[in-house]
Parts: sequence; C-alpha cells; structure tokens
Amino acid sequence: MNTPPSPNAPENRPVSAWQTATTTASSRARRRPGALTAGIALAVGSALVLSACSSGTAGPQEQAALTGSATEPVQGGVLEYGHLQEPNCIFGGWIQENFTARQVLDNLVSATEDGSVVPWIATDWEVSEDQLVWTLTLRDDVHFTDGTPLDAEAVAYNFDYWMDGGNGTAAAHLGGFYDHSEVVDADTVEIHLSAPFAPFLSTLSQSYFGLQSPTALQTRTVEENCTEPIGSGPFTVKDWKRGEYIEFERNEDYDWAPENARHQGPAYLEGIRWNIVPDGTSRYGSLLAGEMDAIGEVPAVNIAEARQRYDFTQYITPGRPVVINLNTERGIFTDQAVRQALSHATDREANIESAFLGTVPFEPSGYLSQSTPGYDADAAQQYPFDLEKANELLDGAGWTGRAEDGTRIKDGQRLQVKIVYGLNTIVTPDGNTAIQNFQEQARAAGFDIELRPLTPSENFSGAYSTPDSYDGSVGYWTSPHAGILNINYRPSTEEAPNGANTTFLDNEEVFTTIQQALQAPTDAEVTATFSEAQYQLSELAPAIGLYTQTNTLAVSDRVSGLWLEPAQGGPIFHDAHFTSEEARDSSQGFSAANAENEG
Amino acid sequence: MSVTTETLTTAPAQPSSPEPVRRGRPVTSTAALIGKKVLGALFVIWAAASITFLIQSLLPGDRATLLLNQQTGQVQERSAEELAPINEQFGFDDPLLVQYVTFLGGLLRGDLGISYTLYQPVTTVIGDQIVPTLVLTFTALAVAWALAIVLLLLTARRAPWVSRIFSGLESAAAALPQYWLGIILLVVFSLWLGLFPVVSGSGTAGLVLPALTLGIPLAGFLAQVMRAEFERTMDEPFVLTARARGMSDGGVRLRHVLRHSLLPGLSLTGWAVGAQFSAAVIAENVFARPGLGRVLVTAVNGRDLPVVCGVVMLVALVYVITNLIVDTAYILVDPRLKEAA
Repeated sequence: MNTPPSPNAPENRPVSAWQTATTTASSRARRRPGALTAGIALAVGSALVLSACSSGTAGPQEQAALTGSATEPVQGGVLEYGHLQEPNCIFGGWIQENFTARQVLDNLVSATEDGSVVPWIATDWEVSEDQLVWTLTLRDDVHFTDGTPLDAEAVAYNFDYWMDGGNGTAAAHLGGFYDHSEVVDADTVEIHLSAPFAPFLSTLSQSYFGLQSPTALQTRTVEENCTEPIGSGPFTVKDWKRGEYIEFERNEDYDWAPENARHQGPAYLEGIRWNIVPDGTSRYGSLLAGEMDAIGEVPAVNIAEARQRYDFTQYITPGRPVVINLNTERGIFTDQAVRQALSHATDREANIESAFLGTVPFEPSGYLSQSTPGYDADAAQQYPFDLEKANELLDGAGWTGRAEDGTRIKDGQRLQVKIVYGLNTIVTPDGNTAIQNFQEQARAAGFDIELRPLTPSENFSGAYSTPDSYDGSVGYWTSPHAGILNINYRPSTEEAPNGANTTFLDNEEVFTTIQQALQAPTDAEVTATFSEAQYQLSELAPAIGLYTQTNTLAVSDRVSGLWLEPAQGGPIFHDAHFTSEEARDSSQGFSAANAENEG
Repeated sequence: MSVTTETLTTAPAQPSSPEPVRRGRPVTSTAALIGKKVLGALFVIWAAASITFLIQSLLPGDRATLLLNQQTGQVQERSAEELAPINEQFGFDDPLLVQYVTFLGGLLRGDLGISYTLYQPVTTVIGDQIVPTLVLTFTALAVAWALAIVLLLLTARRAPWVSRIFSGLESAAAALPQYWLGIILLVVFSLWLGLFPVVSGSGTAGLVLPALTLGIPLAGFLAQVMRAEFERTMDEPFVLTARARGMSDGGVRLRHVLRHSLLPGLSLTGWAVGAQFSAAVIAENVFARPGLGRVLVTAVNGRDLPVVCGVVMLVALVYVITNLIVDTAYILVDPRLKEAA
C-alpha cells in the first residue's frame, strides 16, 4: 500500500526457504508427498529420454510424447508473475537484481533448505588441508547461450570480474578472503583464498555469484550486459519494457539444472512475463482477477486470505534481521549498561505481533535471523521484556535524575538518543509502526528517542552513516550463513575500513571468535564457535533485534511447481508449469509486438 | 459591452503565460514575435536545467557513496579507495564549474548523458517512457475538459439547488486525493465489475481508469473556475438579446456563454499539463503503467542527475509548448484579442 515503494530502494532482501519458511507445511505444494513422487517419476522419465535420444535433438514436445506418462506437466505457455520492485539491471549487487539474475544465470552450487549445498555447475569440490585452496570440478557439457563454453577458464574469469567491480556485494562477501583463481584443466579450477573461509560454498550459492559468458562481458557494452546478460540459465531475457515488464524466454538447450531442481531439461514454460506492479492493492488484485498467475510480496493485510485461497509460501531471510544498531563509538550508547537497558526496556514481541498483524516473525536476536544456519536461539533470548531490570541497569549507570517529562538525567544530560532509518527503502510502513511503538514503550524506562526517517537519497549518500550522525540506525543484511557476522563486526581499521560495521563495535574478543568460526575445520565446530560469538555479542548488546525480513509468494491453481530458492528466496520458474492445457491456452503468450518482430 | 471586454482581458491572468496580447507598442512582425517566443522558451529550459543541476550537485551527502551503496543495497560509509573509480568515471571530483560546463556542452550537442544507474543514454530512457506519459496526460486532460463542459452546460445557473449540488460535487472532485480515487476506481471497476484490467500496462483498455484518476479531480477544478464566469455571463445583456432573438436555452449556453467561460479554463490548462506530469506517478503506481513519473521519482531518489535533468527539461519544454498553444487558443476563442495585439 505504500505509494512509491521506491523502485530503486536497494533492499537487501534475500529470501530463502529452508530454515522456516513454510508457515503451514501443507501450504507448500512441493512438500506434498504426491508432488514429490511426481518429481521423482519425472526425473527418471527424463533420464530415459536422454539415453533414448543421445543425439540430443529431441525438443520438449517430443520428450513429452516419449515419456507420455499422465504425470508429465503441461508444456508451454507464458506465466504472468507480479513483482514489487523493478531492478536497475538483470544482474547486480542489489537483491532485486538477484531475483532476475537467477532466471538467466547459473551458479556453481545450489543451496538447499538445510543450509548445505548441492552440485550445480560444479559437480564436486575439495578443500585443501589448510583450507586455502578450493578445487572445483565442473560439468563438461555446459555452454552459455552465446555458445561460449562454461569451463574452468570462464569460472576463473567470473571470479575476477566479481571482485574487480563487477558485483559490489559479491566483493563484500569474499573481499579479504579471495586471492586468485587457477585453471587446472578445462573442467577443473582452483580458487585460492588468502584466509580460510568456511562458508565459501554457501556464499557462492547466491545470485551475486551468477556466471556470465566471458565473451559477452568482454565484447559487449555495459548497457547490454546490464539489460540482457548472457548466462547459461533456464531462461534468456527476451524483452524489457521498463516500468512495465521483463519477458524471459525458455533456453531450449538447458540441461544442467541444480541437483535440487524438481526436474532436469529445459523449462516447461515457454516463458515468464515478470510484471512490475508496485502497488500492493493492485498486485494482490491482479492475482484475484486472474491477470497474474503468481505474485511476490503479498501485502500484510491480504496474507490471511492468501493462505486460504492460494498456494502461499513465506520465506524468512537468513543473515542479519531488521535490527537497531547502537553506536558504540560515540554518545550515550558507548555505555554497555545503557545498551542492555534499552534491550530490556520494551516488549518487542508484542510490538512486532501488533505492527505486522502477526504475519512477520519477531526476531529477538540483534545479530542473526532465526533462519540462518548456526543461529543460537538461547543466545538470542538474553533480553526479554523486563522493565525492572532496565531501570536497575540505568540507575546503576548513573542515570538517576528525572526530567519533568520522565526522561532520565545524568549530570544535567538527558537520556536522549536519535535513531535513523531509511523509510520505505530499508523499513516498510509496517516496520515504521514497530519502530514508533518501540520509541513509545521505551519512555517508561526514561528514554527519549528521536526518530529520524531518511529519504532514499539521504540514506544511501552516507550522510547518516558516520559515528557522529546517529545513536541508533536500523538495518538488515541478507546472507545465507552466519559469516555475515564477519561483515558486520570486523573492526574498521585505517588500512581496511569497514563501513558495514554500523555499530562501530571494536572488540578484539568477538572478532577473534568470528575468525575462528570461519576457519573451523568441521561444520559442528563452525556452529559451536558461531554460538560463542552470538553469546559474546549478546553480552555487549550493540544491537537490538526487531523482526525478520520475509518474502512471500502466492500462486494460483492455474500453475504449479514454483518454489523459492533457499539462498535468497527468489522465485524459481524452471520447474513451473500450467496445471491444464486450458489454463495454458488461456495465457496470453508473449506480447504481440515481439511476435511480429520475430516474424 | 465594455463590461465584457474588461472581464475577458483580466481573466487570463495566469503567471506562466507572458500575456502575449496587450502590449503598448505594435509588434513589428510575426517573425519577431516567434523569435521572441523561441528565445523565451530556450531561456526557460536552460534555467530549468541549470537549477536542477545545481540542486542535485549541492544536496548534502556524497554522490559517489550514493551510487556505490545503491549498487550493493547497503547504507554505509565508503573509503576513498572504493570511491575513487566512481569519482573518476563520472567526474564528481572536478570543480563544480567544470562539471557544469561539461554538462552544458553535452546539452548543446543534444547529449543528455548516460544514466548513472541504468547505464542507458538518457535519451533512450526518456524515449522509452515518454509516449505512455503523454498519452495519459492528454487523455486525462481531454476527460477533464469533457466532464467539465458537460457539467456546466447541464447544471450551471439552473434551479438553485441543482447548481448548488453540482458546484459542491465539483469542489469535492477537485479535492479528491488521486491515490485514493485510483484505488477506489481499481477496486470497483477492475476487481468487482471486471470491466478493466487491474494491471493496465500500456494498452488502450488500461488507459481508462488512470485517465479518470487524473481527469476527475482536474474536471472539478476546471468546472469550478469556469462556473463562476459562466454564471456571470448568463446575466449579461447580450444573453437577453440572444434569447429575445428566439434562441433556445441550449443554443445560448453552447454558442454564446460557454465561449466566455472557456478562458479561465484555458489558463488553468496551461498549469494542469505540467501538474499532470507529476501526478502521473500516482496513476502509474496504482495501475502499474510505465511512464516518466516513475522514472523521475526513481531518478530523484537515486540522484541520477542526467535522468533528472533530462526529465525536468522535458517537462519545462512541455510547459512552454502548452502555454504557446494556450496563448493561441485565447485568440481563437476571443478574436478581439488578436486585434488588440
């Protein structure tokens, strides 16, 4: 319902599914045993087809005819999908650009719901004893849609491209760890790190690490690679009418879907029309009216109904949830007791429940969201609502005086703090309500909180990102693993500044623990060490958890087989299909203008 | 007659049109007049571009940081090392005067630059979006005029309660928030009745509701300013004369009175065209239409200077052209103005 949902609000809003996601298990078609069986039958079916037609000339229609089973999904049709925000480019560092990139580009590995990864372009991997060299074995049959082979050479080229400015977010993840790539042979590439990095593979499952054709990157303009990147994925960009829709067309050669895809071979759909529908009422209305087959970002007021009427999925984003980061370098929050007091001072759980009408989970942790592998639920629960405790802590810290309005005073200074946040970019209108509730509730403990919503331009220009510009700042950062703690809590130094450390926390102990976690040799040790880091952070209280970033998908019964991929929660259309031939035939197909162009 | 003349010449008192009609000295030739108009138009466009450039350049916050943060979806400080390539690429480090001269030089060559965030030439960005915006703006304008004129002819100076009710309705229409109106139209006509698509896109059927969303409030404004003039003119002696000649009431209203009341409506139109451009973003969002409104909002949020300047100059140009047309229309509506000139 927010009028201008700021199309370029670079919300880092990945979305995944493993950890949580489903609100009701039955609401997810793909979890139903029936659907699973069908998936397996299908996989077997296409394997048979492959061996039968090794010449590889069988088109999708022939395949359907060959397998001929009743469970074979309907082929063809253009699916209408309604999406909130328009990306600037198909591939980029913004989460919106990841959703589109995922349709066109393949990754080395694919994330699964339990936080592990499965083969995709890389079929096998091995890490050296010192954890500094990852050897990836690649499929030998993959080519980009411009004909360039996707081989070791191409992978090495892409690593250097991401790190040298091709993708700022990819660089934020691997910066300080990536050293160089070495081509061993056509199907083998070595990635050399400068320091061990346990969540390496999980990191690569995000679409910031989508593989593009080196030929295209080298020979085409920035604009061409922005609007029509060349990948090896299940779809290619057919047309992009800015402000209206992006059309994706099936890649007929596609035969290298990730291991956790629901089927192998080309997509069932002829294509997708990815409509940009910014207004919530219109987006949900277009699904009700049957204009859309599926929509993302179901408005909070419609979620209860959508659960009943549609195949509804909610994805809880892993990484840093939406939290208030407290400035530990300057001002009132340099005192740990005051930070702890504010953490105890309000009933955050009731607040989130009411602000979001119960549609978005409360997140007690200020550091990791509950869907992040390695999340420690006990460490997250250290600051329940306890006004008495908050008052004790503030009394102990010397904030004993009271002004007329109830604000605490110490040495003539009021307990007055400023919290800044990007409204409608980082924080949704519902989130804004939650922050206002928080402000109101904190008065009881004697906090006078000034809220300062920021325009997109103020927010992103860095004017409110310095230690002298705020006491608290609201933000989130999506990541499929707990390694996000290293991005958010690595102390900033002269040689290696870290602007992502928005609490300005400079704590050697926490930093060391995080480094140990990143370098731990086994998964169990990684988890245990990250738990320790969460307890240490919790004690220091540099951040206060509010709610999880979520992504939703509602699908009509005309189509089936859509899912949200677990690394970032983007919708996957490769396995989607119309549920009947009538439904397919009533779909519009690609826009007429294009059809004419094609002749 | 003196009363009418006075009314007519004072009516078009809108600020944007430099009163083309009544000058003390005779205008030398049509060519000189056109030359003056063109120079004036160029000045307006130059001024619009320069002011936009200055504001966008001088707003607090660092532009390179903004671009980098937007590319990665983060809100944070950036190191000089990170910012150097961006400053280098876009010349943010150059003295402001140098940046301005570069910018103006580009304008003179017809080069509006390349969008910082879309990597497309600004002319392409605008070219892709201008048609739906113009179509929406002018359809809304036509809808507004049609509604206003029908309302006036049927209801002005009728039984007092009729006039009062419709005058009240016009005020209410003029005060309608476009966002609210758009949602109501969407829910009623698209969702309940299923008469129009929810997602309008750029098709013809999808034009109706957005045009009504913008047109209905404007119709309220237009009818209000014209109603006063219409009702006053109905009291003029020449109306009585016309009636005395045996002319029907409808004929009097349509052929004599309406003409008088058009002038304030025309003045308002000069302003409305520009205002519709900015209101278009609301209709574009609600009905998921492409258009310049959304491009402009996105560009302002991202401080995508080339795109902002391009759109602002275009809007200035549309203003200038519309006001030229309005000036001409005055003369057509009231030929006496031509003689005066």
